[in-house]
Amino acid sequence: MEVIAKILILINSVTNVIGSIVFAPIGIMPGWLSNTIISAVAGVLMLLVFKHTSNQTAIGKVRDGIKANMLAIKLYKDSFSVTITSLAKVFKGAVLLLFYSSKPMLIMIVPVVLLLAQMGLWYQFKPISPGRDALVFITLKDQMSPDFSEVSLEPFSGYEVVTGPVRIYSKKQVFWKIRTVESGKHDLNFKVGQQQFHKELVSGDGFERINPKTPAMKWNDVLFYPADKPFSKDSAVQSIEIEYPRRDSLTCGSDSWIFFFFIISIIAALLFKPFLNVKI
Amino acid sequence: MIARREFLKNSLLGICWFAGNSYGLPGQSKKPGSRPKVIVVGFDGMDPVLAEKMMDAGQLPNLDKLRKAGGYSRLGTSNPPQSPVAWANFINGAGPGTHGIFDFIHRDPAKQCQPFYSAAETEAGDGYLEFDTHKIQLDFWPFNHTPTQTFLRRHGVPFWEYLDRAGIPSAFFDLPANYPPSSSSHGHHCCLSGMGTPDMLGTYGTYQHYSEDGPVRTKDEPGGKRSMLFFENETAPAKLVGPVNDFLIKPEPVTVDFEVHRDIAADASLIEIQDHRVLLKKGQWSDWLKIEFELSMPALMPNNNISGICRFYLQEVAPNFRLYVTPINIDPSKPAVTISEPDSFVTEISSSLGLFYTTGFQEDHKALSNRVFSDSEFAEQAEIVLQERIGLLNYAMDNYEDGLLFFYFSSTDLQSHMFYWDTDEKHPSREPSQTAKYFEHVKDIYRKADSIVGDVIKRYGSEATVMVMSDHGFGNFKRQFNVNTWLRDNGYIQPSNCDSIMSDKIDWSATKAYSLGLNGLYINLKGRERDGVVEKDERERLMEELITKLKQVTDVDGKKVIRDVYRTDKVYSGPYVKNAPDLLVGYYRGYRAAWTSILGDIDDDVLSDNKSLWAADHCIDPHEVPGVLFTNRHVLKDDPALIDIAPTILNEFGLETPGTMTGKNIFKD
Repeated sequence: MEVIAKILILINSVTNVIGSIVFAPIGIMPGWLSNTIISAVAGVLMLLVFKHTSNQTAIGKVRDGIKANMLAIKLYKDSFSVTITSLAKVFKGAVLLLFYSSKPMLIMIVPVVLLLAQMGLWYQFKPISPGRDALVFITLKDQMSPDFSEVSLEPFSGYEVVTGPVRIYSKKQVFWKIRTVESGKHDLNFKVGQQQFHKELVSGDGFERINPKTPAMKWNDVLFYPADKPFSKDSAVQSIEIEYPRRDSLTCGSDSWIFFFFIISIIAALLFKPFLNVKI
Repeated sequence: MIARREFLKNSLLGICWFAGNSYGLPGQSKKPGSRPKVIVVGFDGMDPVLAEKMMDAGQLPNLDKLRKAGGYSRLGTSNPPQSPVAWANFINGAGPGTHGIFDFIHRDPAKQCQPFYSAAETEAGDGYLEFDTHKIQLDFWPFNHTPTQTFLRRHGVPFWEYLDRAGIPSAFFDLPANYPPSSSSHGHHCCLSGMGTPDMLGTYGTYQHYSEDGPVRTKDEPGGKRSMLFFENETAPAKLVGPVNDFLIKPEPVTVDFEVHRDIAADASLIEIQDHRVLLKKGQWSDWLKIEFELSMPALMPNNNISGICRFYLQEVAPNFRLYVTPINIDPSKPAVTISEPDSFVTEISSSLGLFYTTGFQEDHKALSNRVFSDSEFAEQAEIVLQERIGLLNYAMDNYEDGLLFFYFSSTDLQSHMFYWDTDEKHPSREPSQTAKYFEHVKDIYRKADSIVGDVIKRYGSEATVMVMSDHGFGNFKRQFNVNTWLRDNGYIQPSNCDSIMSDKIDWSATKAYSLGLNGLYINLKGRERDGVVEKDERERLMEELITKLKQVTDVDGKKVIRDVYRTDKVYSGPYVKNAPDLLVGYYRGYRAAWTSILGDIDDDVLSDNKSLWAADHCIDPHEVPGVLFTNRHVLKDDPALIDIAPTILNEFGLETPGTMTGKNIFKD
C-alpha cells in the first residue's frame, strides 16, 4: 500500500501544478458557473476518451441488434416465443454494452478520480471568514518521541488561539480552536519537540483552494487530500487537520458539487454525442 | 397522495414567500408597503411597578418618551394572570370563557381531577400492525388506524383570522399559546410557535447533565436528566437521550453515543458526537449542533432519521467534570414536527439565521431550580436566548413591509421568576448582596428591552402604530399557601389525614371542594365531577362560604394572604365557562399557591416559606400584577386591558370589532 501512496504522491505533484493553474479561474467565477464549465468540458473529454478506447464497431453492432429486437417485440407482440427471444437478446445486448464500456471506464477512472480530488479542493470547503473560529488538530505518531507538553502552535498575526493546546491522550491528538483575524493565507507553525511543522490556513470569503488535511502516508488519504505532501511513516506528526466550514450550495456546495458534476458531464456528453459520432 | 398535496402546497407557499421576500403572502390585495403598519412587541411579564420606577429614574429613556407623549398605561391582565390565559385573551380579544384556557393545568371532571396541560393535548393513536418488535400505523382503508396527534386546545377565533380573511398579512414570532400553530385559512398569516412548543423529547425542555458525581443510572428530575461520567485515560463514553421511538411496540428513547475527552492541565475538553468535534474550555458554550436520531423501523423499511439541535456547555473539567446539554430542540432547518404556519416559515428563517432555540421555554429555569446552573450560569444562558431573539427581531423587521408584525420576548418573564426581588426583606435562598445583584440584572433586562423598543421606534415609529405590551406584571413570592391543606383543615376535603387529592386516601363522598392548578378551586359538584357530591342548590352557599373564609386567611404576622376570590360564573362569559374552575383565588403580592398544591398535594402547613429559587411570580390577584402598555399613539381608553389589543389592531386596519370580542379600541374614549 505504501507503494501506491508513493506513486500517488508523484502523480499528485503533477496534478497539483496543473490543477492550480487550470482551476485558478474558479476563484473569480460564480461557483455554479465554474462547476458547469468544468463538468461540461470533462463530459466531452470523457466522451472522446470513450470513443477512442472502446470498440465502437462492436458497440454499434450491439446497439443495432438491440434496436432490431425492440422492433421485433413491437411487431410481433402477439407471438409469445418471438417476444421472449427478443427480450433475451435485448438483455444480452445490454450486458454486452456494459462489457464493451468496462475498458474505457477502467481507463478513465484514475484521471476522473484525480480530477475530482482537485475539484474537491475548491468546492468541498470554504475559507474561514475573519472572526470565525475553526478547530485545528494534529495527530502524533503512535510511539510518541516528543512529549505531549512539547507540542505548541506558534502565535501569528493572522489568527489567535482561542482554546488550546488540548491534549487528548487516548487519541494521541492535540487540538486548538483558533480565530482568524484577517483574510489571506497564513502559515500555522507547530513545534513538536525540536521539530517544526507547517500547515496552510486559508481565511477569507469566496472560493479558495483548500486542503483541510496534511495526511499520513496512507494511499486513500493521499488520493483525497492531494495538495500537501504526506508525513512519512516515522514522522513525529502523522497528520494536521483544519476543520473548514462546509459550503452550502446545490451546485457547488459540500458533497452536492459532485452530483452536479456527474449530471452536467452526462448531459454534455449526450449533447455532443451526435457531433462527435460516438456510440455509447 | 395527501403527502404529495401537502408538499405541493408547502412548496407553493415557500416559492411565494421567497419571491415576495416579505410577509405579503399569496393573494394579497394591495401592493406591499401600501397598507397600514402595526407592530406589537410583547415583553412577557414586564412589571409596571418596576418599569415606572426605572422611567422616573431616567433609566428607560425610550419607554419614558412614549409615556410622556401620552402613550402609556398599565394594562389589565387576565384572571388568573397566568401566561397561557393572558396570551389567549390577547389572541381572542375576549376572556377565558371564549378560549377555554383557565390555568396552566386543567382537570378532567369525568376522571375526577385528572390533570392535563391546558394549552395543547396529545391524543394517543389507535390501532397498529405488529412487525416483530415494531408497529406501524396505516391510516387508510381497511386499516383506518389513528395516528397520535397533538391538538391546540385554545378555542375561539384568533384575531389574525379576521386579518387573514381581509388579505392583510400578519407575521408572529414566538407567539405563546399557539402550539401546534393554528393554520392560516387564506394564506396571509405566518407564525412561529412560542410558549408551549415542546422539545424533541416531547417535554417543555429537558436538559441533560453529565458529571463524575452524577447517578450511575440516568436519573430523571423535573426538567432534566442527570448521568454519571466515568473517565478512563481521560476519556469517558456518554449517551445523549433523544426522542422516543413510537414505532416500537414498547416505545423507548433513541440514544446517541458520544465521547468526552478532557485535558485537565488545559482546563478544556473535546466532545465527539456524530461528525461533530467540539472543543470547549471551562465556561464555554458550543454552537448549535445538529444531531440525527435514527428511529428504527420494521424490517425491510428504511430507518427514519429525525434531526434535533442542542448546545453543550462545559461547566467544570476537574476535579468533578460537569457538562450541561441544552434540551434537544426541534431543528428549525428541518423540523420533525410542525412548529410554524406555514411549515416553510421556520425553515426560511433558519436559512437566514441558522439554528436557534425553538422550544417554548428557552431560558432554562429548571436547571437553576435544580442547581445544575449557578445564578450566573443561568443569567449567561438567558442572555444567549435574548441575543438570539434580538437577531430574530432584526430578521423580522428586515423582512417586514406592512400588515401586522408581532414579536415576543420571554426574557422579562423567566429571568424575573428567578431574579426579581424588589424589597429589603430576606430572599428565600439568596444572600442580600446576591439578591440585589440579580435584581439589578432584571433591571438590565428592562434597559435592554428599552433599547429594543428604541430600535423599533427608530425604524418604524414614523410609519407604524407600535405597541409594546406585557401580559402581566411581577411580584415577590415569599410565602406559599396550600389551598388543599386549607380545604382539608377546614373540613372541605376528607378524611382529615388525606395527603393528596390524587391519592386513594381521599374520600370523594365527603369532599366538597378541591384545588388544582395555580389559582383554580373546584366544587365537587354532583353531575359534573365523576364522584361529585355537592348538590346544585348547595353550590351557591358553599361558594360564598369559601369566598368569605378564604378572604379572612391571615399569615402568622397578621398579613392578609388573599385579596379576592372570584366566581367564574360572574367574571367569565362565553361557551367554555362550564369547563372553568368555580373559584379563582387571587393572592396579594408576596404570596402564591404552594408548589405542592398545584398538583393536589396536601402539606402539613397551610402557609410556608417558598424555598425555591423561583422566588417571584404573577399567578396572584390580577389587580396586583397588571401589565404595561406603551404605544406611539395616545391611549384614550381609561382602563385598557389585554382583551383590547386585538380589537385595536383590527380597527387600525379598518376592520370592525367582531361580535366575539369584548375588548374595545384603546385609541378611542
